[in-house]
Amino acid sequence: MKSKKYWVPVLLVVFGLFVAACGSANKDAATAAIKAAEDSWNAVKAEVAKYIPDQAKGVDDAIKAAKENFDKGNFDAALETAKDIPTRVKALVSAAAAKKAELAKAWDEMSGGLPGMLEAIKSRLDILSQSRKLPAGLDKAKLEDAKGGYEAAAKMWEDAKAAFAGGNAADALAKGKTVKDKAVEVMTALGMQIPAAAAPAAAPAPAPAPAPAPAPAPKG
Amino acid sequence: MADEERKQGADAWDATQWHVVEKGETLSKISKKYYGDPSLYMKIFEANRDVLKNPDLIKIGQKLRIP
Repeated sequence: MKSKKYWVPVLLVVFGLFVAACGSANKDAATAAIKAAEDSWNAVKAEVAKYIPDQAKGVDDAIKAAKENFDKGNFDAALETAKDIPTRVKALVSAAAAKKAELAKAWDEMSGGLPGMLEAIKSRLDILSQSRKLPAGLDKAKLEDAKGGYEAAAKMWEDAKAAFAGGNAADALAKGKTVKDKAVEVMTALGMQIPAAAAPAAAPAPAPAPAPAPAPAPKG
Repeated sequence: MADEERKQGADAWDATQWHVVEKGETLSKISKKYYGDPSLYMKIFEANRDVLKNPDLIKIGQKLRIP
């Protein structure tokens, strides 16, 4: 009976050590998982954020949540959140590469076409400036507006090219779209034909009426 | 395939301005239509030197660039 009394504190100490050891193991695992998550993310974050900023923010938030759980002593939760981040980062790297390729393709098309539009506008403006009388539908004020529109579009196109050269494809494309819209506006004002690729999208055609059911073939 | 796609894309962006000659038209009339000034007809002639030898000789259906 007496010996049992001695065993109780010993067991409590052993249990305490066991719990502490488990806690420490979880803490170590969470620390390692958070470090792995941060390392994998920091290596690619700038590139991913450039192309898919919303999804990049998701990873930042996940790392932050893991750290907050860690600081509160919730090592299991911290580990749970952090351990999947490297896989998620890998998927985002692929998604960012796909987005980069998509933007580069769109830029190729745009940079192959917009300079031609600007050139055509400039050529027409130069000739109209020499004209003693303007064609139907165009007056001096409209011509001046068109000249201003062209100057603005040409300047923005230079900005777009600089943005692309600086590695900011999304910004370059956004600027390019503004240039395209302005060029279309000027060409319309000057009575010029708009290239198909730059024409404003037409309203979708109404769905065709369902075809009548075919008559049954005569028998015999 | 990729080259074909690229070519179609380039065609869709082509900003060349065209005019198809109709019966009774002259370069002066076409110039008046696009520039408001018939005396600028030589601009059209110069832009179409590859198909026009004489500014007074244009044919119905001929496709001319309008600079």
